Amino acid sequence: MTVKIAWLYPDLMSTYGDRGNVIVLQKRCEWRGIPVEVVPITLETLDFRLSDCNMIFMGGAQDRQQKLAGEDFLKRKGPVVKKMVERGVPALFVCAAYQFVGHYYKPYQGEKIPGAGIFDLYTVHPGDQEKRLIGNVAAELINPPVSSRDPESFKDEAIYNNQSDRLSRFARNDKRIIVGFENHGGRTYLGSKMKPFAKVLKGYGNNGEDGFEGAVYNNAIGSYFHGPLLPKNPFIADWLLEKVVGPLKPLDDSLEQKANEAVR
Amino acid sequence: MGWIDRLVVILTKFVSWVSTSLGIGAGETWPGEIAITLRPNIARTLAQNLPDGVILIAGTNGKTTTALMVKTILEHIGKSVVHNATGANLLNGVVSSFIKNADWLGRITADVGIFEIDENSLPIVLRYISPKRIVLLNLFRDQLDRYGEVDVIVEKWQKVLGDKNLVLNADDPAIASLGNKQTIYFGLKDPRKYLKEKEHASDSIFCPKCGNRLSYEGVYYSHIGVWRCDSCDNQRPKPYVSSWPSSLPGLYNQYNTLAAVAVAKSLEIPDKDIKNALKDFSPAFGRQEEVNVGSTTIKLFLSKNPAGFNASLRTVLEMGAKELLFVLNDRIPDGRDVSWIWDVDFEMIPNDISVTVSGDRVYDIALRMKYADLKARVEPDLSKALAHTRGTLFVLATYSAMLEIRKHIVGHKIL
Repeated sequence: MTVKIAWLYPDLMSTYGDRGNVIVLQKRCEWRGIPVEVVPITLETLDFRLSDCNMIFMGGAQDRQQKLAGEDFLKRKGPVVKKMVERGVPALFVCAAYQFVGHYYKPYQGEKIPGAGIFDLYTVHPGDQEKRLIGNVAAELINPPVSSRDPESFKDEAIYNNQSDRLSRFARNDKRIIVGFENHGGRTYLGSKMKPFAKVLKGYGNNGEDGFEGAVYNNAIGSYFHGPLLPKNPFIADWLLEKVVGPLKPLDDSLEQKANEAVR
Repeated sequence: MGWIDRLVVILTKFVSWVSTSLGIGAGETWPGEIAITLRPNIARTLAQNLPDGVILIAGTNGKTTTALMVKTILEHIGKSVVHNATGANLLNGVVSSFIKNADWLGRITADVGIFEIDENSLPIVLRYISPKRIVLLNLFRDQLDRYGEVDVIVEKWQKVLGDKNLVLNADDPAIASLGNKQTIYFGLKDPRKYLKEKEHASDSIFCPKCGNRLSYEGVYYSHIGVWRCDSCDNQRPKPYVSSWPSSLPGLYNQYNTLAAVAVAKSLEIPDKDIKNALKDFSPAFGRQEEVNVGSTTIKLFLSKNPAGFNASLRTVLEMGAKELLFVLNDRIPDGRDVSWIWDVDFEMIPNDISVTVSGDRVYDIALRMKYADLKARVEPDLSKALAHTRGTLFVLATYSAMLEIRKHIVGHKIL
């Protein structure tokens, strides 16, 4: 089966190295011989190109671009994405996209900006005197359970035996720590339908108050982590991919592991 | 200049002299900081003492090189120039350079000031200094955690520029749209250099006036090119200077040269003088600097954001580089966020080129190489990363990494 990644607004919503998330999904398919296609979805793209995909990625944006994309998302692409997420299509929403998929964003001045209501959450900007939440972050994963397969079951595979030491360490003990960089003014609060993605160890996370970072709903993840998120946390990439193609062959992630540990 | 201001200059100059003699500090920023604390308006008074006024240069990439070119031209025609040190580009750096320039009676000896100014500090500097020319080069995403977004900077600039004498890059839509009636533009006319494919690291592809997607006759790099808006009347202004031989390689140096030449021409300096002045121009610190180490050569390219990195990368590949070293740090002057490496098109590097990576964030840059399908040597130890070389090693590094590299190869941080 071909993994078809809908990359929403690559020309408008792509700052902070968002492209890295897409590159990681793509390469981790290619290295395993899984056919993969990245489908850029922007203002002019017709809806069926989006609903035809089996994976969704949407990233951060600058204010002006966010406005352009926001109007289009609310009216056209948002409802399509909502149906896909409800159907269990794996998705990753980072930074501005994470705020977009909630109920609304309340700026410190002016009216609430409605979101697509795909995730049961809302975001509030506390005012221009409040500090932005910026810095390296690390968090312990709560949801999703990162491997749909017990690491023990990889044992009979040659690739696993070759690198068993490194792999097992990453797969079992350390697998649950995600790292990244955050930079956001808005504070996000989760509703009852959402499960928090991770518990903050270092940094701020969703709002700097409740100690949680990100949110999970069905097979969709929202997160403030860029850096980007997937390169240093490849098990999240694999979790998303497994939702499309089923169990995956493990890869040598020793370099990913080192980059991950360096940020903690 | 009043006696109190002069006294403050003498005092800070003395303190600066003592501490630099004792090797405590280089005095690039803090003497100015002290002077500003004592006399908040001192920058205004100091600038008014320059008979030929002040030229300010701002933009994400090329400030240092352009400022150095303008300085070279003005010195060539016999002007005495006061200018700020690389990186000391806030108001305190500007005042510090005046203090350095002053004699022991607190008098400014220069004719003209040429200052590179940090993007965010431009509005603050303009509160005190009425420049003769403001040169705006380009705006790329750079250290989003520190500088904020490109649009935010444009907005800040818009508020303070008004009808000032501007020299603007016609090929950067956001910069060009800041122009007024007396603005002079520079832009490149060389369709052979159009990119075949758009780079990923672009910022300004939407019309700054009406928000519609811009059309390009051709893109030179990132979002820099010959643009127009099909839905409103906004288009790339006609450049006053569009070709000039550049003494340094790389498209971005072509732009720096055009900017410097446009300023010089607007000051009515004859072409002949500009040509002679720039003939033997040598690059600024870490900007294509060449250092000989034993039998090998190291070429340094300061590369601190996606657009600059892409431009450096393209230049070194054109120069026939066979050995590359990337050094990624994440200290305050570099920006703490290293996400931007994912916006650099490392995929353009051919497989037969040897790549080494190092720096504080060596594993981040190593990972980026892995996902560009490049085999890189991972060398956390910078001296080892630099040591292994035959022939010419091309080094692309962030700001603090560049300082460290200098320390390794010439024994001290700044020449």
